[in-house]
Amino acid sequence: MSDNATNELAALTPRYMAWYRFTRNPTAIIGALMVISVVLLAVLAPLIVPYPEHAGAAVNFRARHAAPDLAYWLGTDKVGRDILTRVIYGFRVSLLLVVGVLAVAVPLGAALGLAAGYFGGWTERIITGLTNVMLAIPPLVMALAVGNVLEPNLVNAMIAITLLWWTWHARLVYRVSKSIAAEDFVEAARLAGASHWHVLTREILPNCISVISVKTTLDAAFVILFGATLSFLGLGVKPPTPDLGSMVADGRQFLPEMWWGVLAPGFAIFYATLGFNLLGDGLRDMFDVEV
Amino acid sequence: MQENYLYTFAKRIAGFVGVLLVLSLMIFILARVVPGDPARIALGPSASQEQVDAMRVEMGLDQPLVHQYVAYVSSALKGDLGRSLISGRPVTTEIAALLPATLELVLATVILMAVIAIPLGVITARYRNSWIDNTGRFFSIVGVTMPSFLFAILLQLFAAYFLTDWPIIGRIDHTLSAPTGPTGLLLVDSLLHGRFDVFADAFQRLLFPALALAMSGIGQITRITRSAMIENQRRDHVLTLQSFGVPDRVIVFRYLLKLSSIAPLTIMGLEFASLIGNAFVVELVFSWGGFASYGLNAILQKDLNAVMGVVLLSGLFFIVANIVIDIILLVLDPRLRLKEAR
Amino acid sequence: MANLLDIVGLNVAFQTYGRRHHVLKDVALSIPQGGRVALIGETGSGKSVTSKAILGTLPRNADVESGEILFRGENVLDMPRARRDALKGTAFSVIMQDPLSSFNPVFRIGRHLDDVMYYADRRLGRTGSATERRERIFEVLRKVQLDNPRRIMDAYPSQLSGGMRQRVLIALSLLHQPDLLIADEPGTALDVTTQDEIMKLINQLVSDNGLSLLMITHNLGVVRQMADDVYVMRHGEIVERGALADIFSSPRQAYTRQLIDAIPSLYGAKVEDQKPAEADPIIEMRGVTKMFEQKPWIGQATRHVAVRDVSLSVRRGEVFGLAGESGSGKTTVARMIMGLIAATEGSVTVDGKAVEDERGSDAFRRKIQIVYQNPGTSLNPKRTVGQTLSVPLAFAGMRGKALEERIVDLLRQVNLPANYVGKYPHELSGGQKQRVAIARALAADPEIIVLDEPTSALDVSVQKNVIALLTRLREELGLTYLFISHDLSLMRNFCSHIAIMLRGEIVESGAPRQVFDDPQHPYTRALIAAVPVISEEEEKHKPRVSSEERRRYLVDTAA
Repeated sequence: MSDNATNELAALTPRYMAWYRFTRNPTAIIGALMVISVVLLAVLAPLIVPYPEHAGAAVNFRARHAAPDLAYWLGTDKVGRDILTRVIYGFRVSLLLVVGVLAVAVPLGAALGLAAGYFGGWTERIITGLTNVMLAIPPLVMALAVGNVLEPNLVNAMIAITLLWWTWHARLVYRVSKSIAAEDFVEAARLAGASHWHVLTREILPNCISVISVKTTLDAAFVILFGATLSFLGLGVKPPTPDLGSMVADGRQFLPEMWWGVLAPGFAIFYATLGFNLLGDGLRDMFDVEV
Repeated sequence: MQENYLYTFAKRIAGFVGVLLVLSLMIFILARVVPGDPARIALGPSASQEQVDAMRVEMGLDQPLVHQYVAYVSSALKGDLGRSLISGRPVTTEIAALLPATLELVLATVILMAVIAIPLGVITARYRNSWIDNTGRFFSIVGVTMPSFLFAILLQLFAAYFLTDWPIIGRIDHTLSAPTGPTGLLLVDSLLHGRFDVFADAFQRLLFPALALAMSGIGQITRITRSAMIENQRRDHVLTLQSFGVPDRVIVFRYLLKLSSIAPLTIMGLEFASLIGNAFVVELVFSWGGFASYGLNAILQKDLNAVMGVVLLSGLFFIVANIVIDIILLVLDPRLRLKEAR
Repeated sequence: MANLLDIVGLNVAFQTYGRRHHVLKDVALSIPQGGRVALIGETGSGKSVTSKAILGTLPRNADVESGEILFRGENVLDMPRARRDALKGTAFSVIMQDPLSSFNPVFRIGRHLDDVMYYADRRLGRTGSATERRERIFEVLRKVQLDNPRRIMDAYPSQLSGGMRQRVLIALSLLHQPDLLIADEPGTALDVTTQDEIMKLINQLVSDNGLSLLMITHNLGVVRQMADDVYVMRHGEIVERGALADIFSSPRQAYTRQLIDAIPSLYGAKVEDQKPAEADPIIEMRGVTKMFEQKPWIGQATRHVAVRDVSLSVRRGEVFGLAGESGSGKTTVARMIMGLIAATEGSVTVDGKAVEDERGSDAFRRKIQIVYQNPGTSLNPKRTVGQTLSVPLAFAGMRGKALEERIVDLLRQVNLPANYVGKYPHELSGGQKQRVAIARALAADPEIIVLDEPTSALDVSVQKNVIALLTRLREELGLTYLFISHDLSLMRNFCSHIAIMLRGEIVESGAPRQVFDDPQHPYTRALIAAVPVISEEEEKHKPRVSSEERRRYLVDTAA
């Protein structure tokens, strides 16, 4: 970059630049709206769905396999339950999974990555070694194995995903933490008498926050995707609780004629993952970080 | 210099061996501590307790865990992964029979990924912010975010409604007698035997599963290639060449392409882990009958020996792929070769 | 005589983040046929943008709003793309600034040279075989004193030293005899001795081949050797122009004068002598060696001796200068004194106590503080000035009101207003950041401050103020400084004692007057001789170096 431009840029605050980048990026705003809509639908599900009783074990054989119409906007399934209702309820399970997994995996991964990058030596060797091993494990295979060998249900699926997920955060935060730890201000803080705890939480962590938040947003998409795939393969919530992945698996038996039974829940998953992904991409451009 | 780079490489291989050991240990512990007695699973619920106990002795389950693990690893090294609890046949034999199907699918996928994603990444970066870029980015984000089972089903639906003659199930038409050997890959073997009818059918059947499996990788790699290109475009060395009037297309397709393919290749190595997972889904949807389908069945039936074999082999798959990528990177990036020498 | 190049009323603006930045304002500049013109200015003055405008390599977000760039009377801005490209490398050539990032790291040097030559040939309608081009490239490489062209061609950029890469960049600009050579801060990132050789080479090539030269630099010493006409640029405007001698002897503008005055003198009446300290030694090193060993899990360990048998003593209240080029071991010495790394052999004592026993203790940590070279990385971007300064104070047990008052007090000491407490680093200029870094060092109430090239990233005018601040603080607070630098003219004026390091050893040590007036070691002589100075008088006082000595002690960049 020319000496001139860098100097001029110094006059712009990082906050202004970030905001500028975010607002110039329509896809980021669309992503944010999509995420908000998914969250609202999930939270308000009992209030807005047309057939609240269809979220459970209800049967409605008169309308089984009904094609989408005015009564059932997205059609009905094999026992006549409204698919729209079940899709909206399905978001609840997906978001629950996201929160459950990321609430454990992100802090755990971040803490390990932070420590590995800052302390170096054996701490670094052990943590990065462990991360590398974990990354070599095909996550879906491992989650299936863990979940199924135990007992196929949502909690076990969550545990299985969490066990593998922290590694990505550890890897990412490690990279950032290592480069920050090499900066002069970290040494200066140590020389000024700061404790390791102070350095980790006050000097290094604030510099990792943007990376962590971008990664977490993108991860929300992948956890939804991953959870849906697990339940598609038969490791999901016990019926009759609506779950998008298992709805697709159920509907698949009636293809190609009853296409709505697959496409509605399938595209619902896609809608949620796309929203989080667009938002995450937008945040990445906004913070100008590499994830 | 030569020695140093062999040394770097040896270190990587040693790391991979460590990965396999830890992986085997993890899956071993998992298989042994879980509720559910392998001997009971093998014999079924109707067997008497005496029969089960006898089976436990036969399977070595009465030995201490450490002993069992050492025995497992040492026989695994000799290629013996134990017997399936369900069929009673050696796991190695069962997997070996199904492996070529999966190998063919994965190879086709990787080729699709490299052939589509890297050029797409380059082109979107070259025409940044134009309609070409926007379309390319749209497709790559769809690839990344769409569940592979949904994409697979969409392809099937598409075929069902619009390409009614297109075969969408299985590897090969059962009325065709497929040639056997030497590679087990239908496309290769049929060509070697001059069976173009088999080749055509196998190719048609391979295309959709490979596309479904490649989708997420294509999206990911396109994005990474694009951002690497854009990042490198800002570098001083681009300015050097521009200052002397080297044409843009040479800068992009020679200088930037090589430099910018390092990052996506590295990511491709990591992507292999999820690629193997997605193969489970895609094989299921397309009734592919490969190693992944076998694994899925084994997991659902709690066939512990088979599960251990499948997990280990998936790890091995990942590792072999990464070794190949390491070699490509060493050829591509002189900095990796020179680092140790300085 | 007609001018080769005339820039008339050139206005360039950048669009960044939706705002327009006017970076070149009515710039006018003329380069006569065969003339040497220098464009000087500090960071952000617009000098590099000017060169990019001439070459046609402005970034996409730049707009040429008005003005003309006339090459042999024809406006290049009106030319069609193809004709303008045809000028590149043949009419104008540029010598790029940063030697490492100027080459694509995954291609051999030869590939770059051959591509540049091939496409320029094609534009000129010339065709030739690869072997023929290779011969021509070899010839040019020999011209820039690279004696083994075959090895250079086959090397990857990272395999060459900085000096060698800079020579290749010069060769790149001479592949086709250009009319105008534009040199954009060549050699700035290199050691002073290497930089000196590069300048001599450019000068020689310009006169041998009858080229015109546009020299872009912030270094006035360089200008004196390399230009006939000088343009001074500030905030995108040409503030003064004139013949070299006039600008240096009688600058008309206050800004130019300030720029010249800010440069420390190497010899002559303006040189300041610092009083030698007579107190007891506070730091002593006896026969210290530092060896870095890298031991892989298998195979041979590699060893690197960073410091060899160094003995020195720093007296209380002294400004002890440690001079040397990159890799000479000066920073390693400082880090051993600070207890950040342990000596392999020998003893290091501070205040009579062995650092080995003391390191890590609270009292010791507070006794020695450091000011780093790069203001960009020495402050945490996420923490305010107040938060940064409170760390050492809280450590010293200060709380609440007392702490706040002390912070304001510290800011006052480094000449910053009290309301800077709430500012983040990105709101500060480079010089201000260094002041905060100095305040942070002072906050621990130290006896010794290590100054690791604290001004090398700053413009000369800012450097002058920071040095004045450091001098004042030393007097007021009775501090001892260990000053690490490669800038000999600055050290001549600022230090009360100076030691010269070469390859891990101290080769010469003494009072600055004595070392500069009568350097004993040939390396010291070579080092001083390479410093660019701004007057003929200083040039005459420089020690003489025989070419044999030069060969022995300077890193051979032409190998």
